[in-house]
Amino acid sequence: MPLLAPLFLLGLAAVAIPLLVHLVQRERRDPIAFPSLMFLERTPAPFTSRRNLRDPLLFLLRALAVIALALAFARPVFGPRPNLAGVDVRRRDVVVLLDRSFSMRAGDRWPRARAAVDSVIKSLAQGDRMTLVAFDRRARAVTAATSDAAALRAAVDSLSLTDESTRLAPALSIAQQRLAAGDAPRKTLVVISDFQRSGWDLTDEARMPVGTEIGAIDVGGVAPVADRAVRAVEVRRDRRPGPSQLLVSARLTNAGPAARGVAVRLEVAGRVIEERSVDLPRDGGASVSFAAVPAPPDPVPARVVLAADSLIGDDAFHFLFNQAPVLSVLVLEGRESPFLTRALAIGDAPGFDVTTRTPSRATAVDLAGRRLVILADGAFPSGIGAARLVRFVEDGGGLIVALGDQASARSWPAAARLLIPGQIRPAVDRIGANGAVLGSLDQQHPALALLSGPRAGDLSAARFYKYRAIDTTAGVLARFDDGAAALTEHAVGRGRVLTFGSTFDGLWNDLPRQPAFLPLVQQLSRYAASWRDAPRAREIGTSVRPSDLARDAEPDDARWIANAPSGARTTFGGNGAPAALELTEAGVHELRPGGSPGARPLLVAANIAPAELDFAPFDVLRLTNALASIAGTAGTSGAPGAEAETLADREARQSTWWYLLLAATLLLVAESIVARRSVTRTPVLE
Amino acid sequence: MSERLTLDPAALARIGNLELVARWVVEGFISGLHRSPHLGFSTDFAEHRPYVPGDDIRHVDWRVFARTERTYLKTYEADTNTNFTVLLDVSASMGYAHGGITKLAYAKLLAATLTWFSRRQRDRVGLVTFADDVRDIVPPSARHLPNVMHALERATASGTGSLARPIAKIAQSQPRRGIFLLLSDLYEPAADVLRALGPLTGAGHDVIVIQLLDAAERTFPFEDSTTFRDLESGERLPVSPAKVRARYVAAMDAHVTAMRAKLGGGRVDYSLVDTSQPLDRVLFDVLLRREFLRTAV
Repeated sequence: MPLLAPLFLLGLAAVAIPLLVHLVQRERRDPIAFPSLMFLERTPAPFTSRRNLRDPLLFLLRALAVIALALAFARPVFGPRPNLAGVDVRRRDVVVLLDRSFSMRAGDRWPRARAAVDSVIKSLAQGDRMTLVAFDRRARAVTAATSDAAALRAAVDSLSLTDESTRLAPALSIAQQRLAAGDAPRKTLVVISDFQRSGWDLTDEARMPVGTEIGAIDVGGVAPVADRAVRAVEVRRDRRPGPSQLLVSARLTNAGPAARGVAVRLEVAGRVIEERSVDLPRDGGASVSFAAVPAPPDPVPARVVLAADSLIGDDAFHFLFNQAPVLSVLVLEGRESPFLTRALAIGDAPGFDVTTRTPSRATAVDLAGRRLVILADGAFPSGIGAARLVRFVEDGGGLIVALGDQASARSWPAAARLLIPGQIRPAVDRIGANGAVLGSLDQQHPALALLSGPRAGDLSAARFYKYRAIDTTAGVLARFDDGAAALTEHAVGRGRVLTFGSTFDGLWNDLPRQPAFLPLVQQLSRYAASWRDAPRAREIGTSVRPSDLARDAEPDDARWIANAPSGARTTFGGNGAPAALELTEAGVHELRPGGSPGARPLLVAANIAPAELDFAPFDVLRLTNALASIAGTAGTSGAPGAEAETLADREARQSTWWYLLLAATLLLVAESIVARRSVTRTPVLE
Repeated sequence: MSERLTLDPAALARIGNLELVARWVVEGFISGLHRSPHLGFSTDFAEHRPYVPGDDIRHVDWRVFARTERTYLKTYEADTNTNFTVLLDVSASMGYAHGGITKLAYAKLLAATLTWFSRRQRDRVGLVTFADDVRDIVPPSARHLPNVMHALERATASGTGSLARPIAKIAQSQPRRGIFLLLSDLYEPAADVLRALGPLTGAGHDVIVIQLLDAAERTFPFEDSTTFRDLESGERLPVSPAKVRARYVAAMDAHVTAMRAKLGGGRVDYSLVDTSQPLDRVLFDVLLRREFLRTAV
């Protein structure tokens, strides 16, 4: 019967303890009171050995308990010793995890990492097999398990650094699977990385098979990385009168000694627009703003470039340069009110292009190019016509209906009734009761989520003196305090309709005078128009679909071809291809529909993830401790069969130690009972 | 008879009310004895005297009259209202017990029972508790039964014990002849005990000595080597029981034998009582022995 921890058998020597206890007369610590010592003699030889055991049953129970405990800790395994006959016990399965993320570009990390892999290859003995896994945010086994050193070195040579961020967990998962599947008696894991803090989360599940030797080679070095980087770019609309221009400012960081007169330039569409000089403090940051630049209507590639330092790749920040997108809104109101139009005139994320008409004078022409129509007092725009308005919404346009004094079921033609969520009730006058308030608000809904944040304003403070109840139960986002629906949403075709039970003009309520009015109106408008912000720059590692970039782009299920900054072409969408493009390179990517090579491309700017630019490492010991958990068990996926089962695996499956511990516990309980019965009665004193 | 000798002293001790226990034991005991001729401390025949007018004719001895045709009256010592005094040792050693009740508790039961018995025969009853000196005295009186019971109940074991000094005091304080019942574990040499009782025996008192010992004091059943502490002196002694047990038992037996021989020779009524014995058995044995002694005189 093999033992997993035979040294614990030394604990059997503890059987001598109960043996001695039962052979040697015990000396009681407390003296026995006795009426008189008149007839007693002094006999100071308390530890006289005896020939016979006292209380043999008690001794047997105690000795068996000790034996059971010692065996439990020795972890016996039943059955023959597995897979050792005729096998070279020194043979190893080695898995090397090689970090090739962006941070490995710093200093000489990459050459050192390759040298470390080479040293591992050299250490392979006869019969050892090694698997090379390259990882950044993702992980890939570059080679299968092999003992061919030449093939392994060729695999290392084929690897290059990426712009990706670091994540250890996928690589550890592959290592766990490969080591568990290997049949060598020894298993070794070597992690070669700069061990960035952002690359590993303590909560990541990472346990290697029992007995795996864990090695970590830190190529990060002890000296902090000196690096200058462009971390972010902000593009704002120049509000000065004149042609549309954009102001670009960039945030620069400097890790390392102070640098004076560092050149930084703005490039738009490949042309240097402006170059400036900036002083960067030691381990600090600075901002630089460029002069206003005329904004083209369509996006063009642009970047802010810092004078190159030793770590190339984060010195340039790529972004798209064009006029800020505008949400075009048609407001139809019979009575002119400044609140709504002014609320939409503020801000440029997005900006609102607002056109105001009276419902009776609006025509179908006014819908051209619009993404949103707001009926501010509920009157139906007869000049547009029911069919045209319905088609506008069905095609993806947004509609917000405020049920003011002009709104009634009779004023809406039957063909447009599907734009109203339900029966519109007569107006309720609550002015005598100091107005109604909103009784409930679904702040989890995207249209109202903006109001759930701190300092976002409080809609419950608004007083509604007059309102119309909407007779519907579906899609209610807010209710008045009497339970009547105050704000509803329903879909018509590809478009959305939001129906508000009161007005935005400040006559039926004091809502426009509430701080929450501005964010409410803008968010309702964005939501109704299905507006999605198109960021000027994205992080490497994110995925994009064409529909994220252009509203009128080809559908996502069509085939698309992406040209990466390096020239690499990637196909996505369509059958058998990834549904979205995953950004893996810094720079501007061009996306074209498949089969239309001459089409104007959609552009996506990608940059190094900020987390990857944090070079602070974590303590490697924490990783090795987490991986070397003795409680870990070998994975079952890909296990070659019973003959590959290790002694530890079998012991873990049998769990004999558990039964031995149970037996020891029962023996100790029995010992306690027997001992209690055999205790000599204690003298009683009055 | 034997089926009645089952009064467990531990059970009696748990009752707590000594007077109640004593009365219950005595009444039950007497009713079980029926017409036993071996009764009483002071119901013994004293003498015949000629009948004189006015004597109670119930005391006329008709057998003498039948033989001699003379009327004689039988007189008994009981008629003389003898003093019956219990001398109770309350030294610390009397507080010992090994599993059962303490020697003092047993002695209290015995004292209460015999006191009640005696009072039932119209004797005057009294009590003296002592250790190395007199602790509590209830002078003999026909009305002192409650006082005796109360004094018994409050007696506790403490201090060192010695017979000579307290008994000398008692002998001086009670010149009238009477019966003294000494209840003690007698951890003194037999000669010293006899010497200590001298003032009582010398004054013509009837002295009964009952030595109370726990069973453990006779057999020394201990196993573990340990230190033994003297309950009275506090002295400590390391002892290996297995080694000394035989010599201890022999010494104790010799002590008891010497006590029986010395006191018997000194005309003292001596009995040894094991505190694990049923109380009524002890009572019966004591009274039987006393009758034997009387008849042997």
